Amino acid sequence: MVRFRLYYDKDAETNWLNKMCNSGWAFMKFFLGFYFFERCEPGEYIYQIDLLDRPVEEMDDYVAFMEDAKVQVISQWWKWVFLRKNASDGPFELYTDAESKITHYTKIKNLFQALLILELACFFTELFCAITTKSYLLGMLTGLLFAISLAILKVVWKCKWKIEQLQSENHP
Amino acid sequence: MNNSTPLTEALFYILLSLRKPNHGYGIIQEVSEMTDGRVTLGPGTLYGAINSMLTKGWIRLYSEDKDSRKKKEYLITNTGKEIFQNEVKRLNELLNNAKKMNE
Repeated sequence: MVRFRLYYDKDAETNWLNKMCNSGWAFMKFFLGFYFFERCEPGEYIYQIDLLDRPVEEMDDYVAFMEDAKVQVISQWWKWVFLRKNASDGPFELYTDAESKITHYTKIKNLFQALLILELACFFTELFCAITTKSYLLGMLTGLLFAISLAILKVVWKCKWKIEQLQSENHP
Repeated sequence: MNNSTPLTEALFYILLSLRKPNHGYGIIQEVSEMTDGRVTLGPGTLYGAINSMLTKGWIRLYSEDKDSRKKKEYLITNTGKEIFQNEVKRLNELLNNAKKMNE
């Protein structure tokens, strides 16, 4: 089975993959918004999504490390990796203390902040072109870029909120 | 380094379980056993901690099994031992001062 989804929020994406698995569909592969699923026992696996900050050359090292911890790396898209563990091997959380959670969400926030700057640069260029040419098509594209910028901004805000939350729990 | 104390619980137990050569999953298991399952290290937390401690020189690569490309083993360094002892000193101070509560 194939599903098309556009996720900006990796926590929502993780929840969705786990929900699919609970209803008997095991996620197998990701490609440009397409998620490929295979039949499985309901709740057979637990899924997590990680963002790599090490050089891509160290990917083998990461995969071996995860395999040692009974975690399979099942799909990779750029710096994002999809991981799963057999539910029978116990609970599966990637980050288990406030410090590493803060580091994780800071990585995501920095990535999306960089994306946001790029998107905004595209948006203003498009906007300028749309105004000077008065092209209807360019106007629509500008609207699309604006929507994407807003979605990215939402992720940055959510990460910021989570980091502040974790910091205040850690150092009341 | 003064900013290394206090150590987080995760770093403290990872250093402790690297007093002899140990690999990723071995560290997770040992820490879980030592704390009766209270501290369970997530693989993401452990992977990040190992890489940052390698960079700081608190631990080093001990061996690498080339055949299976799995099970890299790590070992604490002298710097790591020093960091650990400083933390133990701080914890002892806490414990000694805590006794005053019952005096």
